[in-house]
Amino acid sequence: MSKELIDAITEMREDDAVDITRKLLDAGTDPVQVLDACREAMGIIGKRFETGESFMPELMLAGEILGQISAIVKPRIQQAGESKKLGKVVLGTVQGDIHDIAKDIVGFMLDINGFEVTDLGVDASPDKFVEAVKQTGAKIVGLSGFLTLAFDPMKFTVQALKDAGLTDVKVMIGGGQIDEQIREYTGADAYGKDAMAAVAIAKSWA
Amino acid sequence: MFTRPDNWKKMSPLERRTARLDAWQNAPVPFVSPKAEAKYKERIARVRKIYDMEPHDRPVADLFMGANEYIVRRKGFQGKDTIYNHEGLRGAVLDFHREFEPDVSVGPMPYPGKPWDLLGFQTYIWGGQKLPDNLAIQAVEGEYMTADEYKDFAADPTAFWLKQYLPRAYSALAPMTMLPDFPRISESVDTIDLLVPFGLPPFQEMLHKMMEAGNELMKILGAVGQTGAMVAAEGYPGMGFNIVKTPFDYLGDTLRGTRGILMDMYRHPKDLLAATEAYVPVLIKSIIGASDRTGAPCAMYVLHKGADGFMSKEQFEKFYWPTWKQVMMALYEEGITSYLFIEGSYNTRMEYLAEMPDKSLVCHFDKSDMKQAKDILGSKYIIAGNVPASLMAAGTTDEVRAYCANLMDLFGDAPGYIMAHGCYFENSTDEKMRAFMDSVKK
Repeated sequence: MSKELIDAITEMREDDAVDITRKLLDAGTDPVQVLDACREAMGIIGKRFETGESFMPELMLAGEILGQISAIVKPRIQQAGESKKLGKVVLGTVQGDIHDIAKDIVGFMLDINGFEVTDLGVDASPDKFVEAVKQTGAKIVGLSGFLTLAFDPMKFTVQALKDAGLTDVKVMIGGGQIDEQIREYTGADAYGKDAMAAVAIAKSWA
Repeated sequence: MFTRPDNWKKMSPLERRTARLDAWQNAPVPFVSPKAEAKYKERIARVRKIYDMEPHDRPVADLFMGANEYIVRRKGFQGKDTIYNHEGLRGAVLDFHREFEPDVSVGPMPYPGKPWDLLGFQTYIWGGQKLPDNLAIQAVEGEYMTADEYKDFAADPTAFWLKQYLPRAYSALAPMTMLPDFPRISESVDTIDLLVPFGLPPFQEMLHKMMEAGNELMKILGAVGQTGAMVAAEGYPGMGFNIVKTPFDYLGDTLRGTRGILMDMYRHPKDLLAATEAYVPVLIKSIIGASDRTGAPCAMYVLHKGADGFMSKEQFEKFYWPTWKQVMMALYEEGITSYLFIEGSYNTRMEYLAEMPDKSLVCHFDKSDMKQAKDILGSKYIIAGNVPASLMAAGTTDEVRAYCANLMDLFGDAPGYIMAHGCYFENSTDEKMRAFMDSVKK
């Protein structure tokens, strides 16, 4: 039955995935097992994304399917406790840029890969990142920016973290016009070309 | 304005293309001096030879899709000025041309700020409005058409834009919903249906607002037009295009949003396909009309959601390519060249582009593999790009020089190549501009 759920998610059969979840729970399946199946499915989709077999629509739709399944499953596992996290990440689109699609995909992929993500949304100022890192104790920061106007705010954010004495925090950047050149320009520690790269970088730092 | 010659019906697509390019190349310009005239003719002839893929002395360097904001920012102007201060930018635009003598003209996009304010434009935010003054514009992704409305769109795309989209995109145009469905204007008494909204106060108020916005627009176009005319008069031709999109991108960028349309490929595939297909003839008519009105020989597609990573090849083949190809083929038949501004990477799409007839495309790349572009497309089409915005913003002058030199090694002997940026950038240096422009000169 769990395999059926994994297949439904990886084959993008949205309604089937939700139906199978309900049936599994009604049949007394441990809710944690259902979430494990979801994680396994996302692992498969993530691998396909890396190898060029899955694309943005699949990541987005899988995210929506998981959201629906979580809404059904989570109320039943309040006592089960949270699974151990790999680490904390503060994520946001930098000041002046209001694009959120890529940032949301990165946040989702980090989340299902075991990170606790604090999402600052879009147009997030350097101060907001500094504040969030101090509050959460996160050791990883992800800066997203779709437009070229994001270059300087990324640089200012990296600098603001240093100025605040948060020198043990590592910063990764990504977005439409971001590349290794901009990593060097901003002083960030890493550049990731897509969501799976962001996960790999975060794991290497965790 | 392009006027078709009498023998238009008997002309082949390439003969029609020649007629459009001839009209563009020979359009009258009131030059400031014989020297400016000679330089203009030399410059436009070089672009023309590139468009025709005929032997020419060297490629051109085109700054338009990269430095269009930089050229005014270097004089202290901000993003807000490109939206509200069109007259004020003129000096900076002219100075740039006088100082750098580019191969073709360059200038900021003519964003109509005051009309946007008057009409309550919702689908963008901009500097001086909701963004800080230093920034220009950003699109606000939204669902301006629900998935349930695909059928309405497919039934009558024009009516949908007019009666559903406009009221949602411009708060002052809400009364557009009051318009009748035009196919029903037939019998004598149907005049009543047609005119009722025009007699009602909310609609009349909207019309007054539109006239006010139209008056403001005329001031902007007057200022921008004068700047453009002065640049041309001093010897600098443009590249000659109108901006358009693919059927899928019009629906995705503007009506459904990225998330919406990418999900729709799974959730509403038939409705999505029907809508893109219904849109094809409307779009063809509209683009040809714009080409005739402006006399521009190229239709420039800003390409978004068909790029590598946005969808699989199967999805591209099913949802994106067929309707786009239909539009481009219809434009080809009309002698209009499709100028593709390919944002992001297109490494997995080049084989599709190669299906088009020779000389039907200009392929302007951003982050694609240029060697692959040359191998697959370089003998059929004009190639442009792909100097990275990141390099222009954050690289050194030597790095810009080296990158452009590599492109010249690759394309220096190509039948048609345009040195160009992959994306626009706000900040750079004059030295990097010169390195970019000098790279094509022997």
